Amino acid sequence: MLFSSITFLFYFLPPVLLLYFAVPFRAKNLVLLLASLLFYFYGEPIYTLLLFGSALSAYIHGLLIARFRATKLSRVFLVSSIAVSLMILGFFKYADFAIETVNGILGTGIGLLNIALPIGISFYTFQTLSYTIDVYRKKAQVQKSFLKLFTYVALFPQLIAGPIVRYTTIENELSLRKHSLADAAYGAGRFVLGLGKKVLLANAFGLFCTEFRASAAPSVLYYWLYAIAFCLQVYFDFSGYSDMAIGLGRIFGFKFLENFDYPFISTSVSEFWRRWHISLGAWFRDYLYIPLGGNRVSLPRWLFNILVVWFLTGLWHGASWNFVVWGLFFAVFLAMEKLFLGRVLQKLPKFVSHMYLLIVVVISFVIFNAGSIAEIGTDLSSMFGLAGLPFSTFETRYALSSYAVLFVVAILGCTPLVSRLYKRIQNNKLGFCARAVSPLVLAALLILITAYLVDGGFNPFLYFRF
Amino acid sequence: MKRSVLNLATIISLGLILLTGFIWCVLKPADELSTAERRSLQQFPSPSLDTVLSGEWMEDFDAYTLDQFPLRDHFRTVKALWQFEVLRQKDNNGIYIVDGNVYKLEYPLNENSVVKAANKLNELYDLYLADSECTAYYAVVPDKNYFAAEQNGYPALDYERLLSLLSENIEHLERIDIFDCLSAEDYYRTDAHWRQEKLEKVVARLSERLGFEYETEFEQETLAPFYGVYYGQAALPIASESLTILHSDTIDSAVVTNYETGEIGGVYDTNDFFGLDPYDVFLQGACPLMTIENPNSDSEKELIIFRDSFGSSLAPLLIAGYEKITLVDIRYISSSYVGEFVDFSNQDVLFIYSTLIINNSESLK
Repeated sequence: MLFSSITFLFYFLPPVLLLYFAVPFRAKNLVLLLASLLFYFYGEPIYTLLLFGSALSAYIHGLLIARFRATKLSRVFLVSSIAVSLMILGFFKYADFAIETVNGILGTGIGLLNIALPIGISFYTFQTLSYTIDVYRKKAQVQKSFLKLFTYVALFPQLIAGPIVRYTTIENELSLRKHSLADAAYGAGRFVLGLGKKVLLANAFGLFCTEFRASAAPSVLYYWLYAIAFCLQVYFDFSGYSDMAIGLGRIFGFKFLENFDYPFISTSVSEFWRRWHISLGAWFRDYLYIPLGGNRVSLPRWLFNILVVWFLTGLWHGASWNFVVWGLFFAVFLAMEKLFLGRVLQKLPKFVSHMYLLIVVVISFVIFNAGSIAEIGTDLSSMFGLAGLPFSTFETRYALSSYAVLFVVAILGCTPLVSRLYKRIQNNKLGFCARAVSPLVLAALLILITAYLVDGGFNPFLYFRF
Repeated sequence: MKRSVLNLATIISLGLILLTGFIWCVLKPADELSTAERRSLQQFPSPSLDTVLSGEWMEDFDAYTLDQFPLRDHFRTVKALWQFEVLRQKDNNGIYIVDGNVYKLEYPLNENSVVKAANKLNELYDLYLADSECTAYYAVVPDKNYFAAEQNGYPALDYERLLSLLSENIEHLERIDIFDCLSAEDYYRTDAHWRQEKLEKVVARLSERLGFEYETEFEQETLAPFYGVYYGQAALPIASESLTILHSDTIDSAVVTNYETGEIGGVYDTNDFFGLDPYDVFLQGACPLMTIENPNSDSEKELIIFRDSFGSSLAPLLIAGYEKITLVDIRYISSSYVGEFVDFSNQDVLFIYSTLIINNSESLK
């Protein structure tokens, strides 16, 4: 089930909220778990068993790691836990990719398994991994209640699109959490804002990209607009989902960590990755990069560490070589920034370093969205005028004029400007008005979002066109 | 204002929307039809173990929630207004408005489709006309974007390319050019179709090439309010218009036989005006095969028209020149079956299709 659906908003969420707040505290986790299972079952009926299996594996391994903590068996169970999680992820997400790669290299004809990718598997696998590793590292207490651990793994606000919530983040809240009017109001507002990002902005730029791909008259300018539109789509889609997750979590009494912090205002790639998908970057840092030795190693070893981490970061995003290229593309810039470019960027005017970051990021997302390695070449050569395309076409100008306001709104929305403005207003004479109308603005936003969702089902019978 | 009061106001306002929506969605009886979209709406799907485990039930339920959402058309209006008035987008779901006329973008040119349409005409010629004494032509009806899109900054089909592709690929037929017989005013404001009362120049041009006599004096009957197909799609507060049908003794005495239903009737049925698609008032709407017979005809000429829905309002204006007109719509009957119902000997034959069909010719069987 998607947050951005009528089913979720008007059939699932209201009864779940009513039930959750109606039952006593001891039954709240059970309500959340059952709601989460229904939520997941709705989108992945069969794979709900896989979700259960992953949670059960984490639970048993956690118990065994704690039970045999003083012995070498503890490490064995940790390795076993990691192996089970990675095998599940590897099989369901990467088996066909591996077969295709082998077939491509060796010319073999191994048949594809055609396995449907279970929704959210990358997120919940990383969460179960963080749990068992943290139990092993004594950063987390072993969870003896399967109900609580399963609730953590399956918690629907963050189940299918993150952020990657570590067990330690909500360890205490699983047992004891407070619910307050302030948290519920904050959470509800955050949820609606996130939903707005997704439905009103990300979906609109998604449509722009679809129209671009169907274009009969592409141009250099259209390619750049597409590249920018796709960046905006991904940002508002993903950060919107994170906002919704954080908001829903807050309503239910959980405080998830922030996942995005205005990444496009960065002035270097390393800063960008401190602001973009923070939970993933932190996960790879804590569970892979630092165990590999981090940067406290020789230069060649450090370069190796960077390549491994970014190879896997790319692969985590999807079972396709363009994602690997995307990850390695960032690795190159991160390495250069660490070695010399970072110092150069610091000396340059902020505007220049900011432009550098934006160009790198825009190009990276062209790589990200390419259907194949060949398409990366086509897209990039078209962007840089090497494909013989005109600078602009009639269609380009139409697309630009039609989406101009959306581009402006979205670009402003990528910056902290609106938030700062709101805070500034709050502190002056208009503050009272701003605060007073905010519930109405949120309500109007929810109605507008509903209108967009309802229109998504608009499906005229085509005969009547003619 | 205290923070706690604002928090409460936020929760109450958002909670009320969700809760009201939930109760309304659950209690609202399901509608069967959408007049705006002119289609049946998804009904509550009956679950079974198979459909639930395969996810099919969930897909149907999602469609049900969208189709049956309370005040659905009003919400669509909110979205359309926001898109046009606030975001200043130039179209909404491909719909755009110029001078109160509603248009739907038709872009880009699908060259494969055009060639396929040409080949379909070649196939029909080879099947039925090559060994006959029929006189055959084709004509292309420009969709109304032709008169407004490019001039107003909207992407438009490359009509020249479309016509030249047809010309290059259609082997034995000559084209009757009717593009210059039409203008934007000759189409309904809220619909894709042309107005019957504006077709005099088109009829004259066809007559010139096919050599039939036609009437110029008609009595007009106006039906209102007429909301065309684009009205519902636009979801905007647009004024209704009227639909005019032309009467003459010849037209009113003509006998229409619908070979699909077996019904025999007149050229117009005004009851159909109040149905799901008011344009069905012309020749009962979509039909694979029908004939119009002129009992008062002095001529023995017959005409066979391969057509889309634009032909429904045109054909009655041609009947004065013929004893019988046969209308074939190969969107609803396979080309290879046509010969079982129609004898091709020495009739006039006209293939007349709109650019909308030619650019989306997968529907031609």
